[in-house]
Amino acid sequence: MFDLRAAWRWLVGGDREPASFDLGAAEADGDAIERPWLYDWEHLPKRSAGSDFSRADYRAARKRAIEVARTTLGDELWADLQHDGYLELPSRLFDGITYRLRVGRRIEVRAAPGYRVPWVYPYLCINPTYPLPEVEFFAQLYLYVRDREEEIVRVAAPQPWDQTLGRTF
Amino acid sequence: MHRIIVANRRGHQVVEWDVDTDTDEARERIAEAERIIREARQQGCIVSKKVDGKHVLDTSPFDPKVEEYQIIAPIAGG
Repeated sequence: MFDLRAAWRWLVGGDREPASFDLGAAEADGDAIERPWLYDWEHLPKRSAGSDFSRADYRAARKRAIEVARTTLGDELWADLQHDGYLELPSRLFDGITYRLRVGRRIEVRAAPGYRVPWVYPYLCINPTYPLPEVEFFAQLYLYVRDREEEIVRVAAPQPWDQTLGRTF
Repeated sequence: MHRIIVANRRGHQVVEWDVDTDTDEARERIAEAERIIREARQQGCIVSKKVDGKHVLDTSPFDPKVEEYQIIAPIAGG
């Protein structure tokens, strides 16, 4: 049921408590684990975590995401990311190809001299199927590219230009 | 303590358990962790585990002695 008070709190952006008028909110209450794989998030606008998310919720989520991204990557890679603004991984499937990953952006496919990018366009648009803070998804995408490149190749949507991802925030 | 990091729009949430305590509550926590891993995999997520200080993607059955798991979102193009 639509909760007008929750909607008002969300509009004014001053409430850290999750509102109760949107998908998944019931599980976000208290200490319950929100299991996003159980829901369909297709209806969400780009760069949104849901209409029940306040500005304080976004701030808190992004802060927590930094912790887990650092844990996922390990201190050395995290330091490299902070220093360079990106991480690179060589392809295991294509000779002379390197993937450059940047937080919240499409993957840039780079070819060494004498090699060609194996897609028609050099930017791969890949999103999580549910909303995640962009730095958290960056760390997950790094694991995909490093450990399961075949999945990257299978789902990638090549694009001619760089752009922010739509399912992260 | 051992844990699963459930990455979600909240940043992440954590499920913790202890393998050194033999109580009904401790066993239930382990069972809950196993359920979450199984359910996430059934819904298309993959799982990573911490090995030598960094996460690697993992397809092996749930092992309560693993220090840290993480649920990784399915990906889609576009």
